[in-house]
Amino acid sequence: MFKTINRKNQRYPRAVISPFTTNTINRTNPWVAAWWSAAFPGFGHMFLGRYITGFVLTIWEIILNLKANINLAIIYSFTGQFDQAREVLDYKLFIVYIGAFVFGIWDSYRISVEMNKRSVLADRTDPVVDNFSMSPFSINCFEKRNPWVSAAWSCLVPGLGHVYIHRLATGFFVLIIWALAVYFSRMLVAMHLTLTGAFSEAAAVIDPAYFLFLPSLYGFSIYCSYVYTVEYNKVFKAEQAGYLKANYQSPDSKMPC
Amino acid sequence: MHIVASLEQSLFLELAITELEEKGIAKNKIVAVPLKKKVGDSKIFDTIHRADGISLFDGAMILGTVFAILGAIYGTVLKWGPVLWGIIGLFAGFAIGLLLDLLINKRRAAGRKTKPIPTEVVLIINCDREQAEMVERVLWDNQALGVGRINT
Repeated sequence: MFKTINRKNQRYPRAVISPFTTNTINRTNPWVAAWWSAAFPGFGHMFLGRYITGFVLTIWEIILNLKANINLAIIYSFTGQFDQAREVLDYKLFIVYIGAFVFGIWDSYRISVEMNKRSVLADRTDPVVDNFSMSPFSINCFEKRNPWVSAAWSCLVPGLGHVYIHRLATGFFVLIIWALAVYFSRMLVAMHLTLTGAFSEAAAVIDPAYFLFLPSLYGFSIYCSYVYTVEYNKVFKAEQAGYLKANYQSPDSKMPC
Repeated sequence: MHIVASLEQSLFLELAITELEEKGIAKNKIVAVPLKKKVGDSKIFDTIHRADGISLFDGAMILGTVFAILGAIYGTVLKWGPVLWGIIGLFAGFAIGLLLDLLINKRRAAGRKTKPIPTEVVLIINCDREQAEMVERVLWDNQALGVGRINT
């Protein structure tokens, strides 16, 4: 009945959809990818859909940062308390940390540039993607979603914007990391004290080593969920346009002129 | 006669087409023309390094995060504490980034003044005079943006 399009042997695929998550190849700004890796090692890779590297680098960052007191050292340095920064930082671990930190930034820039080329090549071939994937445990499909809804959910709880667009690998990972960082930094206690005007108590109760993870997590989840809502919408449209062209442009259709 | 309609791409479009087929319009009497949009078609070297169409968000979110981190850091020694300063930093950075993006984009957009139109697909349906009203109703019910007739 319907003309199906052969999806095999595609050299430049645009997207792949599974019941668990969706991954796409799309244009990204390499400086933006590099920036997210600088804000939180691993995030640049997660932004580019490279989850294995992303997860490993993120967990690496969390463990080494906490063990070497890097967040504390950052805070002391930025506020001019250099002696305390020197005292608190574990130099041996810090040197190990720097290598992977720089690699993350460099590698996400490089991946972004390379994937942009593939993205152009994918655009030049007819888009052939599945728009739907189902298993007994989950259903995933490309739909038209509103990027501002993604951003809003990410603002409320980082990770939920990704769950909304079914980019679950990022969504669940960010949810867990966010929950842990909020708990160990005692951010909600500090929030409560801040809202009641007890500012000095709020600053005292917070654990800055964990708290400094939060801004990057927050910004990243909002940005990434917004961007991929737009990208998934584009895939939805490309897939549907391909289907319409294959099925509703019959050469024997009678035209008005 | 022919009915012409413009629609946005969504599942409503496919619902409309399949409903028309169910109501007796043959498949080869329906022509769908997905339109390419001008925005997405700009030259490779212009867009390859940008996530096209969303660059307004890039600077805003990045500066927002940078300022949120700075706010969280200096909040530890400032009066209002890291939470409030972090949030203030987020909004301040977002606003500055957005302004910068707007300024840059304004200059860039001066060259191309075309407004994006919502129409994404044009449907042309060849049907009998008696079917015309039914076809139009199906299209309107499925969120067509505009529907017109060609009496031939």
